[in-house]
Amino acid sequence: MNKTLRLSFALKNTYRVNSILYALKQVPLLKRLLPDRLYQVRGFKIFANVLSVLWEIVGTFLGKLCYFLVMVALPSSVFDGMAANALFLHILFFLSLVGGLLNATLFDPSKDQYYAIILLRMNAKEYTLVNFFYQMGKTWLGFALFGMIFGSIAGLALWQCLLIPFFIVGLKITAAALELRIIQWTGNLLFPVSAGNWKLFVTLLLLGLAYGLPWLGTALAPQVVCYLMAVPVLTGILSLRELLHFDQYRSVHQQVQTQQLSALQQTKTIAQKQSQRQISNDTSISSGKSGMEFLNELFIKRHRKILWRPALRIAGICAAVVAALLVAIQAVPDAGRDIVELLMKKFPFFILLLYFINRGTGFTTALFMNCDHCLLTYSFYKQPRWLLRLFRIRLLEIIKINLLPALVIGLGLDLLLFAAGSAGEPLHYLVMPVSILCMSVFFSVHYLTLYYLLQPYNIGTEMKSATYQICVSVTYVVCYMLSFNLEIPALVFCGSAIAFCLLYAAVACGLVYLFSPKTFRLRT
Amino acid sequence: MEFVIEHLSKRFGDKEVLQDIDFSFESGKIYGLLGRNGAGKTTLFNCLNRDIRFDSGDFYFMQGQQREKVSAQDMGYVLSTPTVPEFLTGREFLKFFLDIHRERLTDIRPLDDYMELVQMEPEDRDKLMKDYSHGMKNKMQMLVNIISQPKLLLLDEPLTSLDVVVAEEMKQLLRSQKAGRVVIFSTHILDLALDLCDEIVLLSHGILERVEKSDLDDDGLKKKILSALREEGHE
Repeated sequence: MNKTLRLSFALKNTYRVNSILYALKQVPLLKRLLPDRLYQVRGFKIFANVLSVLWEIVGTFLGKLCYFLVMVALPSSVFDGMAANALFLHILFFLSLVGGLLNATLFDPSKDQYYAIILLRMNAKEYTLVNFFYQMGKTWLGFALFGMIFGSIAGLALWQCLLIPFFIVGLKITAAALELRIIQWTGNLLFPVSAGNWKLFVTLLLLGLAYGLPWLGTALAPQVVCYLMAVPVLTGILSLRELLHFDQYRSVHQQVQTQQLSALQQTKTIAQKQSQRQISNDTSISSGKSGMEFLNELFIKRHRKILWRPALRIAGICAAVVAALLVAIQAVPDAGRDIVELLMKKFPFFILLLYFINRGTGFTTALFMNCDHCLLTYSFYKQPRWLLRLFRIRLLEIIKINLLPALVIGLGLDLLLFAAGSAGEPLHYLVMPVSILCMSVFFSVHYLTLYYLLQPYNIGTEMKSATYQICVSVTYVVCYMLSFNLEIPALVFCGSAIAFCLLYAAVACGLVYLFSPKTFRLRT
Repeated sequence: MEFVIEHLSKRFGDKEVLQDIDFSFESGKIYGLLGRNGAGKTTLFNCLNRDIRFDSGDFYFMQGQQREKVSAQDMGYVLSTPTVPEFLTGREFLKFFLDIHRERLTDIRPLDDYMELVQMEPEDRDKLMKDYSHGMKNKMQMLVNIISQPKLLLLDEPLTSLDVVVAEEMKQLLRSQKAGRVVIFSTHILDLALDLCDEIVLLSHGILERVEKSDLDDDGLKKKILSALREEGHE
């Protein structure tokens, strides 16, 4: 047992340490500084080991702290007029049932279990039990500490607080034993890897009981919950025998790993089929153009469902909102003035709105998955002449798609200003819609430029560029911050936005012309 | 015409995958490129197709005494997994390809003539390629690479996973198209290399080595190749 414990720790730690080093190697700039022999450098290994141990401690305590705080304490404070201890116990009880039943740790289809049992052929029973009891130890510690803290705050008696960790661990052991029994009877797991819908159903049901009953103004009485919590403690002790005597650990692990593998393969096939389904089967679609224009026209026509339909929908929703606001202006006396005031003060908010409605990432993903992914393997496609020609065509296309909702918003703004009787600043009628259109063009240029300069996918259609992901995230953060923190007059904002968008578009296109023949390649 | 590789090197970290390769290929021949797993065959192809940057060296064509740069249009690259734009029909893909190459292609024939070349059934020609089988996609990929009349055609295990009939058709097609160009055919199947290729080249220790046939029969040649590849594995 000791040897198994040591080995399984060493294995898990190696796996984690290597994962940390691999993650470091993915960070842009840092990856250039780190040596290729990273995995052999003692200093880095020690550093990663320290991180790994910290992760183990954080995993034991921080996770439980967040759990108690977010899932139990915070929701408890929302429901007024109920005893804090009753609410606390009620929510904790049902949530623990979710965790106990669904968060299986005995046959977890994780990589380290696969390496240990399948590849290294370690003793499956010893490995499973050692890891399971180690997990139970960690669970007990975490729940004992935070159960005591949060339980005391909620007004629980000391013995009730102490009952919590024993209840949780007892429940998990009982669930594990129940699973073993089911395996013996049916040959199947309680919740096989493929049973996603069942898991979801049970989770929603228990979550409904945990939060739904208090929302309806009722909760189980603390005494009842305590009796119910005592049951798994007893069944857990009785279940230990089942765990220790079960002798099919290896075959069950093999079954779980096979299911996991087939689920992964299925996901891949589904993704492939999904991308094929996006292509229209309409045989009447054709094009009278030639060359790159021919390719682009057929691409757009055959992907209308994913390219134009969402833009049309968004435009429809925007038009409906404008119509509703126009009605409000007519119906409510002060609504017009309030709307205009809000627009003047909070105009930068349109950055975030346009960020959300732009179809940049959807467009570039479709381009890669259904077109560039294969054509980039042909050398003619990478010739600057064709590449830049197609970039121009695509840029116009994405601008057109994004302009549709932007146009509705822009015209809607003018209508609202007019209906509200805001004739004071005639310049607003021109500058506001134009700035909306410019911001829309900005997002179109931005995402297509990122795609051409950082082409993030490999031939297996996997996202491989951390730089691309960082750029996309930074775009969101900047849009968010500008939208909520920029407090300048609408006219000044619009003028600056127009100037910035035009300048950005010019610079971005210049960069694409200069660098994309080198950067727009399949990643290896 | 000759295709010449000069001092081509590529290193991934500390591992030198291609080590100062010097080799020349004659046109009109199919070269079978053999090497063990990880020997660098795909890396070599990716360097030649300029999909990845190489560290040093050059490659070019020699027409008599004249040295010519290798442009993108001189190159055809057929992958083992066929990659064709699935939103187009076979006919549309072919039209698109001919549109792009119209300026440099002489004697452009009707689309159906090309389809005949790879024995594509008439009823399949106007189907979207997403509904094509693996073999049909492979035929289309091979066809467009041949139509563009590249001076250098790189084939990375293109016949793997094709059924015997399509594989035989493809072999015939390659034989008929080898005149005037260099064809480099990477494969793991020794019998296929011996059957199809005029020359066998080994990629081992990061360098290319021609296998001299001398007076050896197929069996003798096989033994020679295997022993050369085994040597690499033992080091």
